Parts: sequence; C-alpha cells; structure tokens
Amino acid sequence: MSESCGNPTVESEALMPKKIRFDRSTTCVKCKEQRGCLVIRHAVYCKDCFSALLPTRFRKALEPHINHAPDGPRRRALRPAGNLLLGVSGGLGSAVLLDVVHRTYTTRAVACDGVKGGREHPRGQKVWSTIRAAYVEVAGAFPGMKDRTEEVGEAVKRYEGIEFVPLRLEAAFDPAWWARVGQTSTADVSVDLNAEGTSLLADSPSASTPLDSLRNYLGRLPTPTAVQVAIAKLIRVLLLYTAHATSSSHVLLGTSLTSLSISLISSISQGGGFNVPQTMYEEWFPPGAERATESWRGEVRVIRPLRDVGTKECAAWAWWHALVVVGKERRPAAAQTIDGLTRDFIVGLEKDFPSTVSAISKTVGKLAPKGGTCGRCILCELPVQTDAHEWRARISIRTRSTQSDVPATLASSVALAPLFCYACHTTLTSRSSRSVAPTKASAPPPPPIVQLPVWAAAALSRLYSDTATEAEEIRTGGDRNVGEEVWKTRKLGEDEMRAAVGEFLFDT
Amino acid sequence: MAATLNLKVEFGGGLELLFDNVRSHRIALPAHVPSSRVPDSGSRTPRPANITFLIHWLKDNLLKERAELFVENETVRPGILVLVNDTDWELEGEGDYELKSGDEIVFISTLHGG
Ligand SMILES: [Zn+2]
Ligand SMILES: [Zn+2]
Repeated sequence: MSESCGNPTVESEALMPKKIRFDRSTTCVKCKEQRGCLVIRHAVYCKDCFSALLPTRFRKALEPHINHAPDGPRRRALRPAGNLLLGVSGGLGSAVLLDVVHRTYTTRAVACDGVKGGREHPRGQKVWSTIRAAYVEVAGAFPGMKDRTEEVGEAVKRYEGIEFVPLRLEAAFDPAWWARVGQTSTADVSVDLNAEGTSLLADSPSASTPLDSLRNYLGRLPTPTAVQVAIAKLIRVLLLYTAHATSSSHVLLGTSLTSLSISLISSISQGGGFNVPQTMYEEWFPPGAERATESWRGEVRVIRPLRDVGTKECAAWAWWHALVVVGKERRPAAAQTIDGLTRDFIVGLEKDFPSTVSAISKTVGKLAPKGGTCGRCILCELPVQTDAHEWRARISIRTRSTQSDVPATLASSVALAPLFCYACHTTLTSRSSRSVAPTKASAPPPPPIVQLPVWAAAALSRLYSDTATEAEEIRTGGDRNVGEEVWKTRKLGEDEMRAAVGEFLFDT
Repeated sequence: MAATLNLKVEFGGGLELLFDNVRSHRIALPAHVPSSRVPDSGSRTPRPANITFLIHWLKDNLLKERAELFVENETVRPGILVLVNDTDWELEGEGDYELKSGDEIVFISTLHGG
C-alpha cells in the first residue's frame, strides 16, 4: 500500500475539517419521533427502531435460503431440510449471530433483555429442530496461545436450546475425527510444496500426532498470509463436515458487512476471485452427492446472515443487549498479512466513508466469474475453474503409508496442481520477497513436504479408485472431461512418470 | 481550584483488555484542559474538558498496554464505537463534546471480527 492512499482519515480531515456524519437531523429516520442514538451509514436510528432493523436485515439475508426448494411467488412456511449449525469464533459477529438466532428461532426467546419497545420483538418461532454452535480452537497452531474453548462454550451455554460443539484445528489431520464425522479413513498423503517438484524423492517427515501434522503444514507455508488463509480454509471445511455429520442443512457464520468486505478484497488479491460467489452464498455437497436434487441429500448451505450489518451495528447490538464477546486471540504476525492490512484499510475507510464499504460488498458480490467449473478443489472443496490448470508450477505427491488401502501406484508422484483451485495452489506455493531471500549458509531449510488434511487425502484416494474403474472408459473414449489430466497421469507407469518429471527438473 | 468531573467510563468488545481487563471505571477528570495541552496557550480562558481530552487522559492514566490499539491521530482508532450517555458520539459532536459530571462514556471495539 502506498502512503498516498494509506490513511483515508488523515486525508479527508485535511479536506473537510468538520465532517457531518449524519443526514438532516438527530431524529430517527424510521419513526421520526424519538431522538436517534446510532448513526448507520449516515442514517440516524433510535434504539427501538435499530433493535427492529438488525433482525430484519438478518432474516432477509437468511430466510430465502431456508427451504430446500425455492419458494414460488407465494412465501411458504419455513421448513429447513435438516438441523442448524452456527460457526462461532468468539468474535463480535458470532456473539450477535448466536443472540439473533436464539431470539428469532427458538421458542424460549422472550424480550426480557431490558431493551425498551417489546412490541418489535415477537417471541421466536421454532424453525430448526436442533441448533448447534461449533467453535474451532486454533490455539494448537500457535504455541503459547490461550485456549478459549471453555469461554466460548460458556457463552454458548447462556442460550438455552443451542448445543455447543467444540472442535480443534488439528482435527483436520486427525483420522479419528474424520471417522467421527462418518467418513472412511485413508492413508496419509504428503505433498511436496517445492513448486518445481525437485524434492520428489525426499523422505517425508514423520508426523506422529495430528497436532504435529498441523504445525508442520502451517510451518511450511511460504508466508504469514498463507498461514492465515490456510487456517480459514481448514476451519471452513471442518465446519462443513461437522454440519454434515450432525444432519445440518445450514451453516450460519457471523461475518458482518465489514468483515465480508475485508475478506472479499483480501481473497481477490490472493487469487480467490473465482470463488467470490461462494463467499456470498455457498452450497456444499458431501462426497457422493455432488449435484443438487429435488430432495435433500445432505448438502449444506453456508450463509452469512449479517452480511448487511456493519461491525458498528454489531457492537451497538452487543452492548445494548449485554452480550458476552469472548474475543479472539491475536495471532502472531497477523497484522502483516494481506488480510491484516486490508482490515486496517477497510476499517479506516468505514469511519469516514461508511457507504463505500457497503458498496464494496455489494459490487463485488455481483461478480460472476467467467468460465465453467470442473470438479472441486481437494483442499478447500470449492469449485475449480476450467482451464485454471495452466500453471507452470507442478506439485508432486507421494504417500508414505505402508497401509495397503492405497493402490501401490499412488506411491509414485502425480501432478497434484490440477486438483487444487487457483487460490489454494497460490496459498501453498506463493513466496513473499522475504522468504526467497537467501537463508544463512550451512543448514539448508528442510524440504517443504507436508501432510494433507484428511479430506484431501480421502478425495485423492477416491479419485484414484474411481480412476481404476474409469480408466477403461477413457481408453474406450468415454466421457472424460473431468480430471482428465489426473487420470492420464496416473496411468503412467513409474518409468514414464520419472521421464515426465524429468522435464520439469530441466526447467529449474 | 482544581475542579473535576465525575465520569463513568466503560470498555467493551475486548477493549477492556488494554485497561487491566476492567470494564467499568469511575474517574475524576480535570474539568479543564491543562494549558500544557493547549497549543495556543496565549488565550487565558481555560478550555473545558471534552472527549478528545478524555481520550488523552485515559491513555496517560488508565491504559496499560498497546496504546496504538486505542489512540490514532489524536482520537480513537477507527473501529472503536463511542457512546455518550448511550448515544453514538457522532450525534454529539464526537471529540468536541463537552463533558459534564455524571456523563457515561463507553468505548467499544468492533475489531474482533466475525
Ligand atoms: Zn425510531
Ligand atoms: Zn482450494
């Protein structure tokens, strides 16, 4: 970021020494009677009208997606296909999410929180048979970081009728967790992050526990930004499989308008532009049920019902309803990541130009990336863009398992790049200017070999066993548009494979 | 005469962590900005304490760590919501609001995301 656009506050104040932050008068724009107490994007609201506004925006963003089949012209009763899972982080948005869901969708919710104007707070309507709130503790990734599971659990337990589901980030590498969410275990799969594939024959480090694997995975990522992005992706997929295992049809996240704008810009800047639509609304299919059908087959809709509510409104809501905001631990080096810098920029912008931040999310949200999709990324399980495989870099893959449930040929390397979306590939292999700087002589850094998360290993193994049956189809000219390159690669014998890899070795 | 204003100051949204993890404080703030704080000390009339002065006073007297998470460019850092007697300070003139005894000022961080 250059200095000239670094701080909108300073510049705008230089131009306009006295800024009017609200339109017309200090009277509420809604009831036009009471004196306002909150300015939301230049509009003034009284406490009563604000208390009605936020749940209305929340429901408007969520309710069109509750019924499995879209409503026709006439709205039908809300009957979700499955249960509800809230993804909570301990942050402000999560606190508001829990509170609004509780007061809107559980029958126990009564307006008894001291906010005046009970007429705007009808009793909740029971829509979901079971509501759970899952929290993924990331402390394991950062030695010395405080574990907040208990505090978040306490905050959730304040809401009768919402069940707490504690998770840990290292579950992503834990076959036991994978079995608990009803998936079949496979062998460990490691990848060599060296973009040129030169470390093909190096030995994998032996990672003994899921926590070791997690730390190794994060530790070998090229930049602090990549670490933050990777953690967010792991959390997302952990929530998806948890939702699936708890027969949940919907996952709600507490992403506010401000956070959404930050993550959209940050993600586009890191090559995630193709998956912008999924940031706004996503439908995830469990393995084996990969397309939409009329009846529900376990797919999970991911919705951010606070996407039109700024953090300022969240903060006011939390304060006026005396919500517990546990807070998030600061992650080491988070401030220097693309996400951290984007956050500073957006929050600064929002202070003086609050409508601009809303415009960012609305404009970006309308982006419709060109090009079709071909399958999904084995790492983040988001759609992969057709022809996004034209990458110069290749990643090689090896398994180091001696278990026999993986065909022996997978023990050779295959080109893994086509199985990752562009964003994940970037996360795994991009380098900051700092990380390519020559390290001190003598001890060369260990080869960047990491174990993949359990779902990626399972996806590979599935693809591989499909290949055995479908290889025949390919040979006989069957439909082979999906994963073609992978199948071809896998059909290579080991000698051919080495020859193919040799080409890349010459490139370096 | 060292007149003071009795104020209730509260912190929320994680901001209390910077203030010894205490959410609610009762403070006695000097009723006027000390002349050392006023750039053009030529004027004899003492300037009444406003929220901008309170922010500096909190930084100098109550803040325990990481001032940069509370103060930026002579005011609160972007992303901190300030309520004056339960009303958004943007409706009250922000830093220029002149404090009176009994006022309740709340600082809430919005930076803990989703
Ligand atoms: Zn009103
Ligand atoms: Zn991906």
